[in-house]
Order: sequence, then structure tokens, then C-alpha cells
Amino acid sequence: MNVNNVMSNKKIIAIYVLPALLLILALIYVPILLTGYYGLMKWDGIGKMDFIGLANYTSLIKDPKFWGSAYHSFLLALFSAISLIGYLLVSIILAGKIRGADLFRKIYLIPMLLASVAIAQLWLKIYHPTNGILNNLLTSMGVENTPEWLADPKIALYAIFIPIIWQYAGFYILIYYAALKNIPESLIEAAKIDGASAWQIAVKIKLPLIMNVIKITIVLAVVGSLKYFDLIYVMTDGGPNGSSEVMASYMYHQAFRGFDFGYGSAIGFFLLIICLVVTWVITKLTASKEDVNY
Amino acid sequence: MSTLQTKSSALPVKKSSTPLSSVGNKAAYGFLYVVLIILAIFQIFPIVWLFLFSLKNNQEVFNMSPLSFPADPKWENYVRVWTEGNISQYFLNSVVYTVSAVVLTVLLASMVTFAITRMNWKLNKLVLGLFMVGLMIPVHSTLIPLFNTFSKLNLIDNPLSIILSYTAFNLPITIMILLGFYQTLPKEVEEAAVMDGASVHRIFFRISLPMSMPVMATAGIINMIYNWNEFVFVNTFISSEKYKTLTVGIQNFIGQYTTDWGAIGATLMISILPILLAFLVMSNRIVEGIAAGSVKG
Amino acid sequence: MNKKAHTLLLVLMLAVFSILTGCSSSEETSGNTKKTIKFMHLWPAGSSKQQNKIVTDIIKQYETDHKDIKVEVEVLDNEQYKNKIKVLSSSNELPDVGFTWAAGYLEPFVKGELFAPLDDVLDGGLKESFVAGTTEAFAIKGKTYGLPLELNIAPIYYNKSIFAKYNLEVPETYEEFQTIVKTLAAKGVAPIALGNKDRWTGSLWYMYLADRIGGSEVLTKAIDRTGSFEDPALKTAAEEIQKLVDEKGFIKGFNGLSNDEGKSEFMNEKAAMYLMGSWELPNFTTNEEIAQEFKDNIGYFKFPVVEGGKGDINSWVGGPGVGMFVSENSKVKDDAKDFVKFFVEKWGEQSVTNAGVIPATKVDTAKVDLPKLYIDVLTDLNNASNLTLFADVQMNASVAETHLNLIQSLFGKEVTPDDYVKQHEEALSKE
Repeated sequence: MNVNNVMSNKKIIAIYVLPALLLILALIYVPILLTGYYGLMKWDGIGKMDFIGLANYTSLIKDPKFWGSAYHSFLLALFSAISLIGYLLVSIILAGKIRGADLFRKIYLIPMLLASVAIAQLWLKIYHPTNGILNNLLTSMGVENTPEWLADPKIALYAIFIPIIWQYAGFYILIYYAALKNIPESLIEAAKIDGASAWQIAVKIKLPLIMNVIKITIVLAVVGSLKYFDLIYVMTDGGPNGSSEVMASYMYHQAFRGFDFGYGSAIGFFLLIICLVVTWVITKLTASKEDVNY
Repeated sequence: MSTLQTKSSALPVKKSSTPLSSVGNKAAYGFLYVVLIILAIFQIFPIVWLFLFSLKNNQEVFNMSPLSFPADPKWENYVRVWTEGNISQYFLNSVVYTVSAVVLTVLLASMVTFAITRMNWKLNKLVLGLFMVGLMIPVHSTLIPLFNTFSKLNLIDNPLSIILSYTAFNLPITIMILLGFYQTLPKEVEEAAVMDGASVHRIFFRISLPMSMPVMATAGIINMIYNWNEFVFVNTFISSEKYKTLTVGIQNFIGQYTTDWGAIGATLMISILPILLAFLVMSNRIVEGIAAGSVKG
Repeated sequence: MNKKAHTLLLVLMLAVFSILTGCSSSEETSGNTKKTIKFMHLWPAGSSKQQNKIVTDIIKQYETDHKDIKVEVEVLDNEQYKNKIKVLSSSNELPDVGFTWAAGYLEPFVKGELFAPLDDVLDGGLKESFVAGTTEAFAIKGKTYGLPLELNIAPIYYNKSIFAKYNLEVPETYEEFQTIVKTLAAKGVAPIALGNKDRWTGSLWYMYLADRIGGSEVLTKAIDRTGSFEDPALKTAAEEIQKLVDEKGFIKGFNGLSNDEGKSEFMNEKAAMYLMGSWELPNFTTNEEIAQEFKDNIGYFKFPVVEGGKGDINSWVGGPGVGMFVSENSKVKDDAKDFVKFFVEKWGEQSVTNAGVIPATKVDTAKVDLPKLYIDVLTDLNNASNLTLFADVQMNASVAETHLNLIQSLFGKEVTPDDYVKQHEEALSKE
């Protein structure tokens, strides 16, 4: 039997791919196309639509508020991507053979189970200007002018990045951990016999082997950040004065609060295009000449 | 491939062949543990906080330190949450939607990933791209179009609309997670199986699926958490009480001008328990799975 | 194995297909003779127990009186309710009866012909039972599209013991008010509780200052375009807001706090004053969760007059809150209208006594047994020289967004009073 022949059966490929593909086409592509279409309309979401061509898109390109929010989204993407290093480090330690790793791993993933509402409430209590945990701590350390974390336009955005990035810690640790556990033990044992240190094993053997997973998490972190919405909406609502507005919250504000569904859709569609471009760039940048195999 | 010993992850370090007895190493490990424990405290803090939160009334929620135990714990918050509305029905719905969507998503995603990484066809990169685009659309852009679609399909106020939306919207991320693993799984086992005359389905169900158990568990956990906490789709596509989920319980305590925070805390506490349990069970599969899988392979 | 797997996959695919093509079991409820009125509201049983109970009672009563009608209820919280209404109207699937807000919010729905005019319901005596001016807020081009259920005014609540401690008295003029603010701030007591993340909360302060400085019509005229937002009074009001901020009049970090968080500073007696709608009255009177001592300690006063200003102390910011609409495309429009009429009447009889909600229909204070604070507010309401509807409700949705954002910037001193006024004018003239 030829492996290539068996694995090229078109009928079987169709059976494996089509159900999911059809589902995606119906429930994701139709909305994407409709979003693009609504973006060409002047529409409050209620009455009649008027076709206005690319007017929404041209005003979007000239909208400083949109670009402000896009800048914030990109910052978030950058920080999320950087934070992956930390998660990777924790995962490598946990996946190593240290006492209690199993317990630590479980504990580390707990916050991930919380709904956004809970996370938002927790961090609102941490950041509260007068009786928040953080400012109480600062006061006890003798700081007099404690920051107004979420009310100060200069720091609100960064203050809110922390819970967002923390919220996803469990997600990435879980993925890295599973990837590291997937590495055949024999490879590591062999390296140990050759006298490699734990650090060398991590960098020279483990990292290259899970490179594919790392690349994918970079895409997930960046794309996820670019369309991020939840905590921003609950904790600052994009404020004060738009200082923590991101693309998805701007889209929501325009479409659902400002009743400008045409413009909101244009933002949504544009966001999609930005994500596509960024993903393309990331895959180009991280593409390696040869795939790692053992 | 000798992967049987992965189960031993909790065993002491000393068994390994590297010499660890030097003082410097001990200090390094001591430091490592201090850091790990501090991180652990940080990560466990939210649950403790949420529990305390759920025992307070509005005055106490805002006035007391978030980590203080209320003088007069409001256990009645739990009673109220449990008796108000149809919580057992919501609970059941949450379980049904979550479980069916998770199973459907992980199975469909595994099939797609298998076809993309293991089978030979020209369009595989394109199809992968099609799925990846699904990651990139903000939820609020999809609400009105999706509502239209479901309304045409006569699926408004039908649990299927929820299960299908969860599946469709989680497929891209699930495929991405699976992809990284399938790419690194050795192909030799499958090739040998083909030589022995096994069919594609047999390879998929008997070799690839068991071998990818850890990542399926990972993806399953992630899917489960997303689905369990989701409420935008439920609110938009469902209107009958009998089809709503636990997240509705939270809204029940948000009023026009005031919100009953303690009761919300209690609802959150109640709703986190089953998922915590499921998580603990499933997360063991991440470690166990690979050992079991490779034996069969 | 091979065959089994194959069939399994086929079944799966078929299932997905059949689901997508919609041959799902859509159940028909028994009793086809019954007409169903779909009704969406925003008073969940958990947070708004009394309101929810009244609604349930009214529906029960209506169903007993009308055996052929079933009222199907869906409850969502405020935010989710607004989102869902938005999605439903885009697909023309509004419930038969629901809640709406007045003026600017209402406009697109009326333009899109989604709400039915309710003048026929009002004729025949019902209109007279409403407080004057309330149904008008729901009228566009002479037709009324919503029947209001709530009526509120916004006084400044204050903590009597804090006032007593620092020998302060209820201010009559804005100057006296400023002295109070300065005294409290100097003593390290937060003068005013404000959660301005929600932004409409700050708007109340601005609206009152505009009213007291420029008279009751200046803001309304700027919004309805018979006047201009560049009226000097509107700019002075903006300057006064920033003066209050400079005097540390508001609690620390107010721009990052929600109304709930801001309010808690007042409820915990850390802040001395709180400007908010009369919907807060239960918290100061009947709410059993709150200590009696605290409740006895709370009074309210009217927003003081500004010397040399055109405003009158009996002019209030406030007006009707939610109102009921009937969907224009409802299949049971007549029944829905009948239900709404019944609902409004019954609601008016019970809401203030049972739920502490002041209805938009007239309340005879002599006949109901109410806490003193309620009687006072109702009396003030009767003597009101003017009611100015909340600015963000007066404006259409997109201008309202601009206004609210500018309010936050003004309070955060991120915009000068000059630009504040200019940007308002720009946004308003665009429409």
C-alpha cells in the first residue's frame, strides 16, 4: 500500500473537512460578508439602508479616534505577545520534574475559569482610588499621592492591560504545558546522559520542538488582542476620554450606543483586514526554512 | 518512544541523573519554590476573594477591604440565588450547551486538522486560512447578521442556534491549538499503519485521536470555559426562560439603577464549581493521555 | 471499524446539514386559539423584586380578565435589554410590547416605523391621568409613541450628620454651596460622591449649572437647534464644573468609578453629598438592607440658585424614565394596546406604594401612606416650575455619545470650556 495514495483520497478529505467548513461558512463568513456590506450603507440599524459606497471607509481612515483606538489595540497586542515569554518560562518549569508541579499547574490555571464579570469586579476592587488593595498598599508604604488608576487618562490603558494579560495566563500556560508534555521523554533523557544542563535542554531541545506551537500562540495572542473587548467594556468603557478605547469597543460604541450601524460595521470589517495583514506578516516573519522533525 | 514515565512528573527531582546535591543548586531550587508559591498565592487569590465577595451585601462589598471576612456573612445570598428563578433549569441548559458544543467542536476540529496536516491535497493551506479568518471578527459585528441568518433558518429561540454558534466560533481557535501539535506528532506510526493496510478512518480514530489526547483535553478545557461563561449569544438568540443559561442568573441581579453584588458573587461561585471540577478531571488527561495513547499506537 | 466510522461521519454530516437547513423540530405550543403578546422588560426578579412582582401581578390579572390572551415575558438587564432591542429592530422582530426611553432614543424607532402611535390609547381619559409634560417627552411630530412609567427629579441628597459636624447648613445659593464644598474639602471630607465613568452622572451637574446660570431653556434650545450651544451661559457652566473639580469637590478618581461605586462613597458616609434621581429614595427610606440610622441621616435639597443667574430653584432636571411601546408590526397590535393601557393604569396605582417608583401618572399624596421623603419629593414635583429631560435622552444617540464623552473630558480637565462648547455645537449642527 502506498502511503501517499491512501492519504490523498479526495472523498475522505471532503468528509473530514466539509462539515466544519460549511458551519464556518454559514455562521462566520456570512456575517463577515454582511458586515462588509453594511459598511457600505448609511444605516442606524433600524430604518432603511442607504447605499453610500465607500464613504464610511473613507471617513474611518480620517477618523483620529479610530486610529487612537487602533494604536491602543496594537499596544495590547505587543504586550500580550511579550507576556508569552513569561508564560513559556513558567510552563517549562512546571513541565520539568519538580516536586508539586502538578499542583502548581492546577492552581495557576484557576483564574482562567472565572467569567469576565468576576475578573472585572476583582480588578476594580484592586484599582479603587480610595479603598482599593493597591492604593492601600501604597499608602501603607508612605506614598501620599496615590494614582487614580482607571481615572487617569495617562495610566488607565496600561492599568487595564494587566488584568487582560493576566486573564489569559492560564490559557497559554495550559497550551505550552501540553506541548512540552508531548515531547518524547527519550530525547530529554538522551541529552541528560550527554551532560546537558536543564537550561540547555530547555533552549536547545524543548523550544525548537514546540516552535510550531509557539508560533501559533503568537498569532492567537496578537489577533485576540486586536479584537479584544470584554474587560475594557466593563472596567473603563473605553474612558476616561477615550484613553482606553480599543477597536472593538469603538465599534460597539458606534454601532450600539451611537446607533450608527453602518460605520460600526465598517470598523468591524476594517478590523478584520488589519488582523489578516498582521497575521500574514507574523507568518512571514516566523517562517522557518525547514520544519522541525525528529 | 518511551513515554510511559511521563506520569512520574510529581516525583522528586533527585531521581534524575543530573547531580543536584550542590549547595548552589539547592538555593536555586529554594528560590524557584518561593517564586512558584508566590505566583500560586496570586492565582488562588481570586477564588478566595470571590467567595468572600459572595458573602457580603452591597454596603460591605464597597466599604470593606476585599479580603476581609464579613462580620455577619450573608449566606442568604446563596439561598436567594438558588430560589430565585429557574436555576436548576439554567444549570441543565448550561451543561447541555457546553458539553455538546465542546464535543462537536473538538471532534470537527480534529478531523479538519488531521486532513490538513496528514492528508495530501493542494488546497489545504487555503482551507486553513479560511478557518483562521474566523478568529478575526469581533463578536458584536456578528450579532445582527447572525440573528438574521438564524431567523431565516427558523432557529431563533432554539438551543441549536447556541450550540452551532459556539461550535462555529470556537472551531478556528481549536484548530489552531490542535495544529501545532499535529505538526509535531511523529508520522512514522501512521505510515506503518498504512503499510499494514489500515484505512484512513482507522488511523484517525485509533492512532491520531488517542495520540492527541493531551491537546484535545487542552482544547476541550478552553472550549468548555468559553462556552460556560458566554452570554451575548444566549441573550440575543434565546428569549424563552426554559432555554436560558446560568449566566442569566447574573443578569437577574443587575437592576435599572442598582445592582445586587453579593448575589452576583454567589451566582458566580455556584457557576464556577462544576467547571472547576470538570477542569481538574480533564487537566489530568493532559498528562495521562500521552502515555496511554502511545501504548496503543 | 471502517464502515462504522464511515457511517458515524455521515450521520454527523447529515446532522450538521439538517441543522443548517432548518429541519429542526419547531414546536407548536398547544392551544392555538390563544393569542400571545410578547413583552420584554428590564426589571429582573433578583434586583428589582417589587417592580417585577407588580409586573407579574398585572399580567396575571390581565390574563384572568382576558382568557384568550397569554402574555409571554422576557426579562433582561438594562444593558443587555438595549442591545437586544437593537438587534431585534434590525430584523424587524421587536416584541409586541416593550420598554423604550424618551425623545432622542425614541426617534430612530419612530422614523423606522417600528413603534405604533398610541394616541388612541391616550384618548378617553388616560391622557389626563398623566402628569403634564410626561407623555409629551414620548411624542414626535404630534404623535405619542410611548407611555411613561416612571417620573423622576434629581435632588442633591446630603448627609445631615456630616453637615452638623462641620456646622454647615443647607445652601440656598451656589455661593453658599461653594463654601460648603471648600469647607469639607479643607477638612479632608469628600464633598460630593460622583461615579463619572457612566458619564450621564456628571451630565446632571452640568445641566443644573446651565439651568441656574442661563435659565431653564438655554440647554433645551441648544439641543433642539432653536438656540446655540455657544451661548455664554453654557460656557460659564462648563467653567464652573472645572472650578468644582479644582476645589476637590468630587471624590477621588471619580472619572474611573461607576455610578454604583460613586454612590457607595455616599452610602458609606465618606462623602457628604450626592446628586441623583429620585429613584434612589428607597435606599434612604424603605430598603431594609440599609441601616435605619443612616437612612434617618439623609435629607435632600434643591440645586441652589446662582446669583445673577436666570435659573429658578424650582426648576428640576429629571423627567420620565422608561415608557411602554407597542410594536407597529405586531400581529396583535390592538390587544397589545389594550394591554398597555391596562398596565399603565394598574402600574400607577401600585408602583409608588409597593416598589417606591414614582409613576408618571398622578399620585394623590393624601390617599397613599408614604415615607416623608417621598411626600416631599412628590410635593416638589407638583410645584416644579420646569422639568428638563436628561440631556443625553434629549439628544439623538450619536450626539448623546459626543455629549457624554465631552462631559467626562470636561470633568477630567482634558478639554477647555471653549472647546467643550464648540465641539457640542459642531456635533449638534451636523444632525
